[in-house]
Formats: sequence, C-alpha cells, structure tokens
Amino acid sequence: MRQRAIWSAVLVVSLALAGCGSASDSGKSTSSDGKLVVWDFKSGEAFAKSYLDKAKADFKKKHPDVTVEFVAQPFDQYYTLLGAAIQSGKGPDVMMFNGGGQIRDRVDALVPLTDYVAEDKQRLAGWDAFTKDGKIYGGPVTLQGYPIYYNKGIYEKAGLDPASPATTWDTFVANCATIAKAGAKCFALGNKEGVGIQFWLSSLGSTTLTAQEYDAWIAGKRDWNSANVKRIFQLWKEAGDRKMNSDGANSTAMFNDSFAFFQSGKAAHVMGLMSDVGHWQDFNEFLTPEKLGVMKAPVVTAGTTPSLPYDGGIGYAVAKWTKDPKVAADLVRSLTSTEALNAFYSGAGAIVADTTIDVSQAGPAAATIVSELKSGKPALHVALSSKTIDLMGRLSQQLLSGSVTVDEVVKQLAASDQAG
Amino acid sequence: MPIGNTRPSVRPAPAGRAGGPAVTSSPRRDGALRRRAGGGSGAERLAPYILVAPAVLIIVLLRLYPLVLGVNFSFTGDGAQNGTAVGFGNYRELFADPLFRTALSNVGLLVLLLPVAVAIPGLLATFIYLRVPGHRLYRSVYFFPAVLSPVIVGAIFNLLLAFDGPLNAVLGAVGVGPIDWLGDPGIAMFMVVGVHIWATFGMALVVFLAGFATLDAALLDAARVDGASMPQVVWHVIVPSLSRTIQFVFVTTMIGMLTSMFGLLYVMTSGGPEGATYLPEFYIWKQQGQMNRPALASAASTVLFMIMLVVGLLQIKLLERSGKED
Repeated sequence: MRQRAIWSAVLVVSLALAGCGSASDSGKSTSSDGKLVVWDFKSGEAFAKSYLDKAKADFKKKHPDVTVEFVAQPFDQYYTLLGAAIQSGKGPDVMMFNGGGQIRDRVDALVPLTDYVAEDKQRLAGWDAFTKDGKIYGGPVTLQGYPIYYNKGIYEKAGLDPASPATTWDTFVANCATIAKAGAKCFALGNKEGVGIQFWLSSLGSTTLTAQEYDAWIAGKRDWNSANVKRIFQLWKEAGDRKMNSDGANSTAMFNDSFAFFQSGKAAHVMGLMSDVGHWQDFNEFLTPEKLGVMKAPVVTAGTTPSLPYDGGIGYAVAKWTKDPKVAADLVRSLTSTEALNAFYSGAGAIVADTTIDVSQAGPAAATIVSELKSGKPALHVALSSKTIDLMGRLSQQLLSGSVTVDEVVKQLAASDQAG
Repeated sequence: MPIGNTRPSVRPAPAGRAGGPAVTSSPRRDGALRRRAGGGSGAERLAPYILVAPAVLIIVLLRLYPLVLGVNFSFTGDGAQNGTAVGFGNYRELFADPLFRTALSNVGLLVLLLPVAVAIPGLLATFIYLRVPGHRLYRSVYFFPAVLSPVIVGAIFNLLLAFDGPLNAVLGAVGVGPIDWLGDPGIAMFMVVGVHIWATFGMALVVFLAGFATLDAALLDAARVDGASMPQVVWHVIVPSLSRTIQFVFVTTMIGMLTSMFGLLYVMTSGGPEGATYLPEFYIWKQQGQMNRPALASAASTVLFMIMLVVGLLQIKLLERSGKED
C-alpha cells in the first residue's frame, strides 16, 4: 500500500516536472546579461559548424563577455515554435527567418535593424526580402533565387544546340516538342505542395510583365487583371495541357521528387533554386557540371528583358524583447560577415548574400547565376502574403486539373491580395 | 474500543480486504470512526483532498485552463489586432473559408466511412476465428502495420501510389490507364482514409479477437448442427454476441480517425490536391504554424473540440443504452 503511494507520488511529480519542462523549454527567455540565445533551423546540420565558428569568433572580438547559444529547431516545426514564443513574448534574442512573407508577417515582434546594419548595405545583397515599410528587420545570409536549369545532355540528344537555349517562348515550346520526340519531358514539375506555381510565376515574371508592371508588383501595386499577369497563369495551364510537365505533377513533391526527376535525366528543364536544395550543387553531383546549364527566361512579351529573380533567402532578425538590441544586432552582423558567409557557401553550397565571395570553383552554372545577380530583381511570389501564396498553390493545382479558369484564378488571387 | 465493536458494519472494507491481517485494520477503523464522531484532526479531514489534489491540479492546470485560454483566445484578433476582442469575427471568417468547410465535410466523410473501417477488421477477425487455412500467419501479418508510424506508412504508400509507381505499372500491364491516386481531388481523400484503415485495423482486429474469446462455442456448434450457412452464422450468431465489442471498436476507430490522421495527411498529400484532403487538425496546424494566425487556429480548435464533444457524448449515450439492454 505504502509502496503504491510512493510510486504514485513519483509518477505525479515526474509528470508535473515533465509538464513544466516542455512548457518552459519553448519559451525559455534568456535576455539575461551576457548571454544571447539564437534559434535557427540550420545549426544542427554538419556544414554549419565552420560557419558558426567563424561567426562566433567575429562576435567574440566585439563582445568578449557575451556568450551565444545556438538552438537548432526542426524546420517543420520552426514557425509553429516561433509563433508560440512570440505569443508569450518570450523566446530567443536572435532568430533565423526565411525572407519574404515569413518575416514580414512577424515584424511586430522584431527590432528594426536599419541603423545597425547600415555599414553592410553595400556588401550584402538581398535586403528587400527582410524589409517592410522601408525598415530592415533582418540581415541576409543566403540568396534564394529561381533560375531555370537545363540538361545539356538532353539538348544534344534531341539535336538542339546546348550552348544557345531558346530566348523566346515560342522557340522554347518548339524546342520542347523536339525534346519530347527524344523521349524526355520539358519540365520536371512537382506541385503537390503548390510550390511549382511560385517558381513559375517568378521565373517567367521578368519576361512576361513589363518592367513597369514588375516594379509596381514588387511595390505592392499589383494589377491582377492586367493581360500580362493573366498570361503567366495561361502559360502554366498551357504547359500542363500540352503535357510539357512531368506526369502527375499535382501528386509529385517538389522537394525532392521533381528535382530527382530532373537529375535522373528524364526532363530537360527544371525551375530550381540557388541555395540549400534543388540547386546547382545537387544537380552537379548527378548531371556533372558540364551537362548542367542555366538559361535566362524565354521572352514571352516582346520588349522585355530577362532578369534573374532572387531575394534574400534566410537571414537573422532580432526579437524586440531582447535586453540590448545593439548587442544582438552585432551578432546578426557577425553571422553575416564575409568570413562566416564564405564558410557557409563552401559548406552548404549556397549562394550567399555577400557577392564579393569567389564562386569560380563551383562550376559554370553557379558562375552564371552569380554573374546575373547584378541585374537581378526581387522575385514576384516573395512579395505576396503567405495566405495568397497558399491560395495560389491550390488554384494552380486546379488549373492543372482543369477545374478552374484563368479568369477565376486571378479574381480570387486579387481578392486575397487586397484583403491581406 | 467500545464504539468500534458496537458498529462494525460501518467500515466493512478493511475486514474484507484480502490478505490483510485483522489486527492491523483495527486502529485504522478506530481512527475513522473517531473522525466521524468528533471531527478528528484537520490533517485527516484534509487527507482525501490532498490525495486527489495532484490529479485534479494536473487536469485543471494542464487541460482545463489551457482549454479556457484557447477558447478565450479565439475571440481575439491576429497580427495588428493581437489581444483585442473581435467577438465572433474569427468564427465568421472560419465558416466563410471554403477550405475550412472542406475540412468539415471531410469529417462528415470520415463518419460515413466508419462502418467500413469497423467491418474490415471485424470480417477478418471472423475468418481468423473460424480458422481459415493460415489463420495463425494472418493474425500476425494483420497486426504488423499497427506498429509502424504514420510517417513511415505514408512514405511507403507515397511510393506505391506515385504516378509512375508500382500500382499504376500493374494497372498499365492489364491495360488500365494510369490514375493519379494522390493528385486527383476526387480520389485522394479515399486513398488517405484507406491507408489509415490499413495502418490501424490491426488494433481493432485484436480487440475483435478478444471479443471472440468470450464467444460461446456451443452456440456456433448448435447453429452448424441446425444447418446454418456461413453468412447466417456470422449474421445471426456472431454479430449479436459481439455487439459490445463492435460498439467499442466503433468508438475507438472514430476517435482514431478524427485525431490521428495528421501524420498521414502531412506526408501523403499536404492537404492537397486543391485542398481536397484537409481535415480540421491540418487546418489548425496550417493556420497556426504557416499563416501566423494563432487566434483563427484557436477558433478552429474550438470548433473541432465541439465536434469531438458532440460525437463523444453521442457515443457514450449509445454505449449506455446498449449496456442497459444487456
């Protein structure tokens, strides 16, 4: 009897402790003197060590008495955990963000860094994705862009010149017909998560919208009824109807099934990424650097000039509840220092925000991408709110299955865009 | 101890406790009675409250309090309106959102598919009970999927059901065109539910087998002697005898379907295609984690809670009624 009581007590106490533990873990605030807590979804990866070492060393020079603790969170849960931390007003001092909607939706919880990072403005690229209403909220670490990769091997097999891919949409479609005869698909497309349309919109944006429309779009004045905006969605539908995409796009995961499809030489093109995954480093591994090409977007609307769509990929921001924003901002600057970013580039194979880093070792595709950064523009889909992006993903699936019209799509997207 | 001896029937429990020597129980009985008679010491009066306190505290602090907070939170705004009361604004938005309506209608679909989810393990358990050839093997084979995590099950079926996957290859070999199992909004939900049933029916099967263990074999023999066919045996003998077990499986399967499909949805369809496989759980996760709309997610959680409450109460009613029949 007594033993049972003791066991029950032990159980109760341990349950209570476990309860407290898990509840306080996520909201652990550490703005205590001399310690900064950083949340991210990268520091757990193998390559991150040299990057973090460089960043920590740089920070140590400025603030020798402040220790930094990196907490690696699982990416799947990252914004859920962060949301809980923000809701409770307690959490990390510095946190990693994806540029665009993810950080813009949460600027209420962040400190504007505009003045602290003024010195880095020239050296780094990709600030726009971390800026809202003219204020900078995060320092960019990588750049994320949406180049169109192509497989030179398939071009050769189909009798096309791998050195000169199509420059206009009509030639591109004609080339794809030739490629189809050679037994390959035109695009490797994965739209299970509705991400395919985002890449499509941004990759073809610069050659479909006029420069004026493009800039207005980024500035937030989006005319969804313009013929050119509709054209992007029409092309998406046409590509589906003409069977240019890999089969079963709506049930294929972009990460990484569609990229695997491209890598295995079954499709000639893929709208990929610049950093992290689905990028030149992954493709180099399977296709070899010589076979991997990066092409400019084919011109859809006459008179447009293709430009590489890219933004800040991931970056670090400072929480407004941190004790001394200056110290936390200095940590962000250390995390984006040239040395640290060089380590990130060579470790992760990402195109980093510091454009002064030499990437000639990484093969022709990476070199082409970096050379196009100067004339690049922010990606169209990054300017949209998460809600509109989510809706666009579902509508894009409906366009592929034919259960919605282009007019209905732009109507719904316009309504969502104006509301958000 | 005069009082204790005169009213022994007041505390029969210690005397009836198996194995306990009678001597040890007497002082306790004494104390208990003194407490009744004269109020006793404060510590003893408080003892029961202290003993139930941990359980009550855990339920109140870790269950009820967050529940109340969540409901309260669902009446506040998101983003710029964080913390300000918005009345039923979130609920209005919720029911205006076609995605949430899809999620609710999918719950309805789950309820409709429930009999199938119960009938499959029931039938298979019947076959095992009736000792079809190889029943020992089937018993372990059927249970096997129940030990796999939903993520693994989802990944396996992602491969099997892929557009260029083995299932379509088999169909292609017999001349049937490929079907986009997880990419067709009219099919995907049925596939996910089917996989969920496949992954979880082992547990229900075990419950059914346990129910069969209590079945009177003489009834079956009698039915056979009377010349009943197999379907007649199942329908007139086995089903009535197992009514309690069947109801129990109904309740647990329903709860399982409504609360533990998230992993499969996440891995197999991500709520797609075209939002056709949304369930309230997935919607809540999406709004909270991806859309940064915690208050809207709270409202959705509250709606899901109400649904579960109604379903749960109905099922308890059902069980109670059948209990009376027994």
